[in-house]
Amino acid sequence: MNRKIFIWLISPTLLFLLVIQIYPSLYSWYLSFGKIKGGVYTFVGLKNFVRLLNNSDFYESLGRTGVFTIAFLAACIGIGLIVALLLSRCTRFTGIYMTIIFIPMVLSEVVSGTMWRWMFQQSFGLVQAFLNPFINNVSILSKPWGAMAVVIAASVWKQLAFTALLFLGALQTVPKELFESAAIDGATRSEMFWKITWVIIRPTVLLASIMTTIRGINALGLILATTQGGPGASTMTEAVLLYRTAWQFGRFGDAAALSVMMFLINITLGAVYIRLMKDH
Amino acid sequence: MLIRSKGQIIKDEIVTHGLLIFFSLIMIFPVALSLMTSFKTKTDVMILPPQFFPPTWTLEGYRKVFQSDLIPIYMPNSAINAFTATFLTVILASFAAYGFSRFKFKGSRALQMGILGLMMIPGVTNLVSYYKLGSQLGILSTHLIMILVYTGFELPFGLLILKNFFDAIPIDLEEAAKIDGCKSLQVLWHVIIPLSLPGVFVASLLILVYLWNEFLFAVTLLSANEARTAMVGLYDFQTSFEVAYHALSAASIIVLLPMLVIFLLGRKTFFRAMMEGALKG
Repeated sequence: MNRKIFIWLISPTLLFLLVIQIYPSLYSWYLSFGKIKGGVYTFVGLKNFVRLLNNSDFYESLGRTGVFTIAFLAACIGIGLIVALLLSRCTRFTGIYMTIIFIPMVLSEVVSGTMWRWMFQQSFGLVQAFLNPFINNVSILSKPWGAMAVVIAASVWKQLAFTALLFLGALQTVPKELFESAAIDGATRSEMFWKITWVIIRPTVLLASIMTTIRGINALGLILATTQGGPGASTMTEAVLLYRTAWQFGRFGDAAALSVMMFLINITLGAVYIRLMKDH
Repeated sequence: MLIRSKGQIIKDEIVTHGLLIFFSLIMIFPVALSLMTSFKTKTDVMILPPQFFPPTWTLEGYRKVFQSDLIPIYMPNSAINAFTATFLTVILASFAAYGFSRFKFKGSRALQMGILGLMMIPGVTNLVSYYKLGSQLGILSTHLIMILVYTGFELPFGLLILKNFFDAIPIDLEEAAKIDGCKSLQVLWHVIIPLSLPGVFVASLLILVYLWNEFLFAVTLLSANEARTAMVGLYDFQTSFEVAYHALSAASIIVLLPMLVIFLLGRKTFFRAMMEGALKG
């Protein structure tokens, strides 16, 4: 009887997931091994993968994904931790600060991209104009390094509340008595941080790092809205390459092969994440 | 040292608040600049050196947006897709979460882990399949495909949040109700639903904001103008309005306003969810 109720309760969800998540995933594997011409599918084996792996675009994008993800991760964790520590020390106006820091997170990627493009617009962008004296009037968004920096900054800006508030939650679990007794023992502030706070929040930092890495690797909407992968290919990460391969060049077989590669990267990171969750 | 003099405490306060204020200004700056730009005239957008405040305040940008398809077509589309999918997700996820929370069977834990694992797979890897399957079924550029994809995509997340809420409702309450002679359905109606409303509310808010803002699925699966969502429309404005940043900013402000209001009204909910690590961004 109970079993019957259980099955009735969960089967609609399972059915949905099967049709909307699992089947499409398998379907992209199927597409990645074939070629569609005139609506007819022909099996081509590993041809799409071989072409992908022989293409320098793939490796260049992989490099850019690496640069983007590492900078994004370092900033989200580092700045997030500083903001969380500041917030945990303050007794007044905490709600106001948290609200402001959170706002970028409820904005869409397109809206955020529009805002950041506008700040760095080459003639009329306010931030560009402000920086002009220091950088010889070089248009930041037109330079590969500049565009990458803007895309990273925008992504960090948008995601920061995620790590900051997660860390704040973890910081609140640190028992205050530990600091009091440490203070009596004459510990300095940095000793207290590394020996007490850090030890307690480390698992949270680790989890946040993996989630942030996954997000960094798959970042797409905000990059598209800010630079569309340009100038040239300078902000074309793996995810942007996948998008452009399919929708700009119409090479769906290649895009599917790229999807499968990204799927494998994600599933590996996801497995690590779930492993850590379980230990947590 | 924790034992600090009064002067030290005041100094600490000033440093902490000083840094936080500086930080908040950076975070709000892009939004504030867009807001200001949205009230500028077309010519004031292009003056040198660029100004933060509008030299003359105008609603020209907003007027331009009102003449576009954003408000009559794109925003209603966004609302239909996001609200329907949120409703469907929360209903289905509630059933499943209740099932997983109250009945333990062999394999149900593994099943849950599998469902959570799906959350780790980002949408970008399924984009191509959705597009191909959608075109085979002839449902590209419809509300149907968006609602199906959104619901399927948000279910694991809804399930995770709701299950945490159900787990926190003591099972004794249900048993007490049963002893008092309530039938299963009555227990659900009189005990479970009222107690789980806060959880349902939290899940709905988080999912709604995410889906209203969703861009990737929408931009790949919706090509017909009458099916486009606000985010796709705005993305197109970016190219067509290139220098008309007053209109583009006005459009951004209009599009972000509904979710900003929802966030400001329910901000405690968002903070709590985030501090417990339950928000995807």
